[in-house]
Amino acid sequence: MRVIAGRLLHLVVVLFFVTLFVALLTSMLPGDPVDAIAGFASPEQKDALRTDLGLDDPVWVQYGRWMGDFVTGDLGGYYSVTGERPVWDRVSEALPVSLQLMVEAQVLALIFAIPLGVFTAYRAGSRFDRTTGATLFGLLAIPNFALALVLAYYVGVQLGWLPVSGYVAPSDDLLEHFRRMAMPAISLAVGQVAVYMRLLRSDMIATLQEDFITMAKAKGLPPWHVLWRHALRPSSLTLLTVAGLNVGTLIGGAVVVEVIFSLPGMGLLLGEAINARQYIALQSLIAIIAVGYVLINFLVDVLYAVLDPRIRHART
Amino acid sequence: MVGRVSGLRRVRRPVGVVALALALVAAACGGGGDDGGDGGSASGDGEAGEPTPGGRVVYGLEAETTDGWCLPEAQLAISGIMVTDAIYDTLTRPNAEGEAEPWLAETVESNDDYTEWTIGLREGVTFHDGTDLTAEVVKNNLDAYRGAYPTRSPLLFTFVFDNVAAVDVVDPLTVRVTMNEPWVSFDSYLYSSGRLGMMAQAQLDDTESCAENLIGTGPFVLEDWTPNQSLTASKNPDYWATDAAGNQLPYLDEIEFRPIVESSQRLNALQSGEVNAIHTSDPEMVDELRSLDEEGTVTNVESVEFGEVSYTMLNASKPPFDNVLARQALAYAFEFDEYNEIIGRGILTRASGPFAPGNIGHLEETDYPQYDPERAEELVAQYEEETGDELSFSYTTTQAEATVAAGQVIKEQLGEIGVEMEIVTVDQSTQIDTAISGDFQAIGWRNHPGGDPDQQYVWWESSYPTNFGRINDPEIDDLLNQGRVTPDADERREIYETLNRRFAEQVWNLWAYYTLWSVGTAPDVHGVPGEGPTSEEPFPGLATGHLVSYMWVEE
Amino acid sequence: MPEPDVAAGTGSASGRSADGEPAGSVDVAAGGAPAVVLAPADAAALGGAADVAPALVRRSGRLGVPGKVAIAWLVFVVAAAVLAPVLPLDDPNATEGSLARQGPGTDGHLLGGDGLGRDLLSRLVWGARSSLLLGVGAVAIGIVGGGTLGLLAGYYRRRIGTFLVGLFDTLLSFPALILALTLVTVFATGEGTSSTRRMVVLILALGVVSIPLLGRIARATTLTWSQREFVMAAKAMGQRDRSIMIGEVLPNVLPAMFSLALLSIAIVIVAEGGLSVLGVGVMLPTPSWGNIIAEGRSDLRDAAHIVMFPTIVIFLTVLALNYLGDVVRARFDVRESAL
Repeated sequence: MRVIAGRLLHLVVVLFFVTLFVALLTSMLPGDPVDAIAGFASPEQKDALRTDLGLDDPVWVQYGRWMGDFVTGDLGGYYSVTGERPVWDRVSEALPVSLQLMVEAQVLALIFAIPLGVFTAYRAGSRFDRTTGATLFGLLAIPNFALALVLAYYVGVQLGWLPVSGYVAPSDDLLEHFRRMAMPAISLAVGQVAVYMRLLRSDMIATLQEDFITMAKAKGLPPWHVLWRHALRPSSLTLLTVAGLNVGTLIGGAVVVEVIFSLPGMGLLLGEAINARQYIALQSLIAIIAVGYVLINFLVDVLYAVLDPRIRHART
Repeated sequence: MVGRVSGLRRVRRPVGVVALALALVAAACGGGGDDGGDGGSASGDGEAGEPTPGGRVVYGLEAETTDGWCLPEAQLAISGIMVTDAIYDTLTRPNAEGEAEPWLAETVESNDDYTEWTIGLREGVTFHDGTDLTAEVVKNNLDAYRGAYPTRSPLLFTFVFDNVAAVDVVDPLTVRVTMNEPWVSFDSYLYSSGRLGMMAQAQLDDTESCAENLIGTGPFVLEDWTPNQSLTASKNPDYWATDAAGNQLPYLDEIEFRPIVESSQRLNALQSGEVNAIHTSDPEMVDELRSLDEEGTVTNVESVEFGEVSYTMLNASKPPFDNVLARQALAYAFEFDEYNEIIGRGILTRASGPFAPGNIGHLEETDYPQYDPERAEELVAQYEEETGDELSFSYTTTQAEATVAAGQVIKEQLGEIGVEMEIVTVDQSTQIDTAISGDFQAIGWRNHPGGDPDQQYVWWESSYPTNFGRINDPEIDDLLNQGRVTPDADERREIYETLNRRFAEQVWNLWAYYTLWSVGTAPDVHGVPGEGPTSEEPFPGLATGHLVSYMWVEE
Repeated sequence: MPEPDVAAGTGSASGRSADGEPAGSVDVAAGGAPAVVLAPADAAALGGAADVAPALVRRSGRLGVPGKVAIAWLVFVVAAAVLAPVLPLDDPNATEGSLARQGPGTDGHLLGGDGLGRDLLSRLVWGARSSLLLGVGAVAIGIVGGGTLGLLAGYYRRRIGTFLVGLFDTLLSFPALILALTLVTVFATGEGTSSTRRMVVLILALGVVSIPLLGRIARATTLTWSQREFVMAAKAMGQRDRSIMIGEVLPNVLPAMFSLALLSIAIVIVAEGGLSVLGVGVMLPTPSWGNIIAEGRSDLRDAAHIVMFPTIVIFLTVLALNYLGDVVRARFDVRESAL
């Protein structure tokens, strides 16, 4: 369909510009990878190493080389003195971790946001509504790393309820996986709940003014039935859109939380790559995130169109 | 190993050859010296009873070694050395006095003039892949370290072992190393803080995955490495070493290393039981470990001996620190006690020279300036009068929170005597570069871990590019050269003590404190720091890690 | 901005206008990532229901008590920030061993000392300058930049619109924290970087990160409004695009952006804390609320007040900004509240 073609084109264009931007930006970073991997080598050795690694070439040549590899699925390798260390190896381990963290954080946020959103919409203007809204926004004020450390200390050490660091794959031990992801996910989710709640709330308020709701109430249906069965679904589209988008944009943004909880995710890789001036790895990592973001966008659009019949029909 | 030196000759490395990361390589062992009994003794975990075999230790490390363990090429920090100590053995390692003694090797001896060293190997030692430890393999390892082996291209070690002319196999268990110039402390270089592990031929020849393919002779065999997550290794059933009582090493069935970068989290993990051993040099955490040790919830073993010295390295080649008045002024202005209270939580040991307790050349008191703000102000005034310039400078530091905090305290202290200090932060990868290029006036630094003081040669000798501080002091050059070729222990000690005093007088660097390392374990975990190569008394230093083969868990 | 919940701005209600008709359309075909159109009322409703506002602003236009408190706090904070140099405060950078990590009330220091023995109250007041400057500055860039681009993107739907949406997407797919980190590392680290330069670069970097988010809101709102009859009429009468955009559309776009903008100020202030943890926040020893928290995180065990006080301050400021947003919205909102 034309839509899919259009989106693919969009993906390619975005990818191109994002990675070009990265290439330009990182070329301006002080220092270079040779300093990081061979700090004490002699100037001659460093120059030789630079030539070996292709760092002598102008930015656009290096970029072209990277792009050529990337489109064939080759993510390149980390600069090192000998031996190739493929980026793919690290990414294939880190990506699932980050995705799991993001999704779990979103789900957690939604678990709280949805009931609160529904209820505050129902009781819009009440004290409960105002207090809840205000408190949740206040929670935004807590930096996620501070919350993370507080949780780790009080819940992890003092109460001993949850492990404070490390990652366990769900395929290895599902319960352990969730126990370890709980605090990181909470640290990330707390800031989201407020926004999601508000989104749902404003949609719900609008929906609740629709005719079909009045009809349902007139029919004598109980309020909870009206709220949950009738009003929620059409009101939840925006919320889901945004939650889906956030999964994409949060990856890489969670670097501080990942460091604190020793979760080997993409954020950590990004931090490492920047620190060590691993340009190729950095390009590939960001490219992957960009691809992910645009893909998720696309999926969300499709989902949106599917879920809301008015939109499907509006496109004529 | 007493020998005579036939004529004093200046032992020099060719100019223009950069001797590399000797800070990293600088061995933690010495070539004769006095007992490391001064200050901050390693409070060993003494009366724990008989080690029980079995059990598992999960060790929280401060960082991941992302570049892996292709030893000739690796630039290992303490976290990397901990793993190396588990998987590999070095030919020598230090005893309780810090002197190198044979470990993987059975004998390590030199000829009379230290131009030839002969290494005798043990019989029957095998690598984890079943191959034998032979002279051939050891020769290949040593060649690899010095850059003479085809598949490996080290950058650091090539220059450390630049003085090696040839490595030859004498018989299946004997290797002879011939030097260009006499090398009194070569045996300590065979330890190199635990970095000079002997690798199996298969790993040496591995051009693809040398960094992940760890095959050594050590107490543990690599099982799995997931970067940033964990590295697990299981007991080597054929390990060649026993403890002093004759028990088979290692005691543990398995060791797992987990990098936990956030240091408060590392402590949290120990307290919650997720790990049962951690190391740290952060004053807050050390302080906390001490309290917990008193409560009895953890066991804390700490040591400042043979440690590194934290200091401000000054660039002596340009203003203002080309002028001794400026250097002295700053030294007098440094209020260590306040610094210790704020940054150090009271745990720090003041440094008055580059040699930590235990090292040859260490002195409890030199004439290094003590806090005296009036004197400092006088010197500032003198400087300003002499040069006509105001005394102000920039202080370069990494972005790590601890170093930035330290910089701020210093800035404030200097502000009190009217000296303005600008803090310049750079990230880790550019910091070394800054030091090399000399693009700094003062830089926060840490170096000179315990070991033979000869290893500090390259940092201070005036012609060396690794002399980042650009110290050009003929007296120091002289002392360094003497120390390099003097085999007599007492004479050497005197030489390096004189060197220490010279530093105090000229204030080439602003010494702050000796780094204290602490290993915290669950109360049922013992064996830190373990035992020495031939006796129960261990090498007390913790600054370059410790052997995990001596760790054990109570039944 | 690191907390991409601000991406909340991209979508909202399934497009219902005041008159109850489904006025929304999804611009999937135009190649824009969910360019869900916001009915102006819903755009205004984002971040706070219009119907809450009446409790704050009575029909007579007077502020309720919470509203007054909110305004008072903001005035207090801004005043403190502006007046910091003349207030009788301790030197915020003076370190004192005996004060390190001491709790509130020690030696006459109202809020105690931070990790380096500096007076915490003084640092908080001076920190207000950095944080507010950063927050307002970055968001101002976001509003101006994002607003302009969003307006253009929404008004000229075809080519310029698609291009600009692509631009927004490009910026959004770059993890915000990483982008900010990289920008600051490139432009504001190393020799000769002054505190001012770091601040400027931070404002710019966080501003750049805010642009796509605010831009998308602006675009979404513009899309709806530019389809309204009076705009069509104006075009038909030959009025120039620019004056239509500025005169007719912009006044309706701004309120929608406004509430998100206030939220963004809070997020930027908190985000700077994250950047400080990574080493590239407001340059020490100059304090900011974010870097006080970042510095204090290692002292949570025995000196939790160092993290707590700035967090409380930010919390109250967020609340106050939130209420402020509600008030402003109430003035512009057309809809009745009804349930």
